[in-house]
Amino acid sequence: MEKQPETIMQIDDLHFAFTLRGQLLHVLRGITLDVYKGESLAIVGESGSGKSVLVKTLMGLNDGNGYVESGHILYEGKDLTTLKTDAEWRGIRGREIAMVLQDPMTSLNPLKTIGWQIQEAVELHQDLHGEEAKQAVYKILGEVGIADAPRRYKQYPHEFSGGMRQRVVIAVAVACRPKVLICDEPTTALDVTIQAQILGIIKEMQKKYGLTTIYITHDLGVVANVADRIAVMYAGDIVEVGRCEEVFYDPRHPYTWALLSSLPQLGVKGEPLYAIEGTPPNLFQEVKGDAFAPRNPGALKIDFVKRPPMLAVSPTHKARTWLLDPRAPQVNPPEHIRALREKGRALKLCEEEGTHA
Amino acid sequence: MTKYIIKRILHALITLGIVIAIVFVLLRQMPVEGYFNNFDKYTPAQISVGLQKLGLNDPIPVQIGHYFKQLLQGDLGTSNKYREGYPIAKIIAKKAPISIELGLISLVVALGVGLPMGIMMARSTRTKYKLWDKFGTVFIVVVQAVPSAVYHLLIQLYGSELLGVSMLFDMDKKITWILPIFSLAIGNIAYYAMWLRRYMVDESNKDYIRLARAKGVPAGKISRVHIFRNAIVPLVQYLPNSILFTLMGSLYVESLYSIPGMGGLLVQVIKLQDNTMVQALVLVYAGISVLGLLFGDLLMALVDPRISFTKKEGAR
Ligand SMILES: Nc1ncnc2c1ncn2[C@@H]1O[C@H](COP(=O)(O)OP(=O)(O)OP(=O)(O)O)[C@@H](O)[C@H]1O
Ligand SMILES: [Mg+2]
Repeated sequence: MEKQPETIMQIDDLHFAFTLRGQLLHVLRGITLDVYKGESLAIVGESGSGKSVLVKTLMGLNDGNGYVESGHILYEGKDLTTLKTDAEWRGIRGREIAMVLQDPMTSLNPLKTIGWQIQEAVELHQDLHGEEAKQAVYKILGEVGIADAPRRYKQYPHEFSGGMRQRVVIAVAVACRPKVLICDEPTTALDVTIQAQILGIIKEMQKKYGLTTIYITHDLGVVANVADRIAVMYAGDIVEVGRCEEVFYDPRHPYTWALLSSLPQLGVKGEPLYAIEGTPPNLFQEVKGDAFAPRNPGALKIDFVKRPPMLAVSPTHKARTWLLDPRAPQVNPPEHIRALREKGRALKLCEEEGTHA
Repeated sequence: MTKYIIKRILHALITLGIVIAIVFVLLRQMPVEGYFNNFDKYTPAQISVGLQKLGLNDPIPVQIGHYFKQLLQGDLGTSNKYREGYPIAKIIAKKAPISIELGLISLVVALGVGLPMGIMMARSTRTKYKLWDKFGTVFIVVVQAVPSAVYHLLIQLYGSELLGVSMLFDMDKKITWILPIFSLAIGNIAYYAMWLRRYMVDESNKDYIRLARAKGVPAGKISRVHIFRNAIVPLVQYLPNSILFTLMGSLYVESLYSIPGMGGLLVQVIKLQDNTMVQALVLVYAGISVLGLLFGDLLMALVDPRISFTKKEGAR
């Protein structure tokens, strides 16, 4: 038996909305999620499902027209939803939780040297100044694989390629010495060949500094590469969460089935790639029942009426679907998902790819 | 860097030379009356002698050559109608200082009021009621929508009453300087406030500001060191131009307060058909514009590292 992992953050029934031209857009609808210390958690889901809003809420970085409607974010005993002003958030941003954004081409100030930008973080959070801070910057540059630090220190972002800039952004984040590192699609804007390098650096930093990392991505290939656990998001809600191999090889929510089915790796040669029919629900209106039901050909009647609870598959694996209710009829996942399950059993992946924690 | 600057200066000189030549050629198409005071009194013979003396019978390229030579010696020529036989340089030297002084003070006022106003407006777009932004926008719209002649007049009428001063400018009474300076500044105040606000709002929505916030940089420092610093860059380019343009004075404001400045001089000499003076003033104005553009580009290159001194301007 594994020992119970320690939670660093507890998100509890979080509702978040934006006011848009007098209307309310309910972007997060009751997110409940634990983040464990030292783990690497991936959040996947289609565009617009609220992944970025969720992580921005963790740092109070959402646009001014958004607000937490209800729910709590407990971080080391403190409820982050009670923080309002920039000054109140300052103890959290960078110091506790740092972030790597999607597009390295725009995440750096074009008029400041990259050394200056990393040093800004060092001076804020490591309490080093002057020459000492500079040496710390050189060291971090080396750690993220940027050679010739003294020369690079003085260069401006436009003198770096996309991949190099993302290394700088990672350096900025790491220089804050955070406990949690959030990476919002850190490789989406990059060349495929560079993606692996960047993921490698993030993993290395995670190990070196004992970071808890939260990855956002819609690339399931990335997930398999980096994550211990996966949370699947749909229309502002987490519909399934579990260890990587559990979600990959034994998915339970129909949306996860659909998501996995659309993976090119699972497609059958010669057949068109699977695409999920329909569109996500309109979040201006209240969503009834299971948000995915209208797009799910095998939806149950109750799916349209009542929101399913989070039901446990195993102590580490949960899904928000009525299919897990003992009263539900037997619904079999699509063919290739069943094949996956077989494969998973045969490989007994559960043992090999344990968590780092 | 020196190479870049030399290249830019050469470009500027060439541009200037071309402008002078074009104006020169155009003015030569005008009736020759423009070179004589009391043209009607001259007999045809006298006129042709006069033209000969002025070198106006030479082929145009030769004339241009002479003119450039004269300019290189620092001679702008003499007026022939505005003040017959009087050196143009002296006329300008007498009229320019007051325009420059008023212009520079008004520019300082415009920057001193316009920039803080732009900052306040940009900042207030993040607050709930955006009070400063709304207030500032009303001001800007009014200044831009109302014809300047109207508000200059209103400022003069109500301002002089309010301050209890004469409507006319008096060099020695500083209090009479206030209204014309305010009049000269108000358009620029609106201009700087509007563009700084625009650029700051643009910058503050950029990803790197998000990253700076995620780093935990305090809001005040973000506003100063990241947003303002970056938003001022596109404005910097126009600064030398606005400084230099104050040299010209304002036709309307100067005549309104009867200020003995440069404003309106060009219009006056065009009306008088004083060709040599038109030529000289156009040269001065063209020189100012070209110089302004040159300094603007140099300043821009100094504040924005993305503009390389060695490569062509604009290379990223
Ligand atoms: N300031 C805002 N005002 C109104 N709606 C917003 C605002 N910011 C985000 N949204 C909406 O919130 C929803 C979730 O957006 P979010 O950026 O979290 O999606 P995402 O899952 O990160 O998508 P992607 O994969 O494309 O990054 C979207 O419908 C988006 O339009
Ligand atoms: Mg996103």
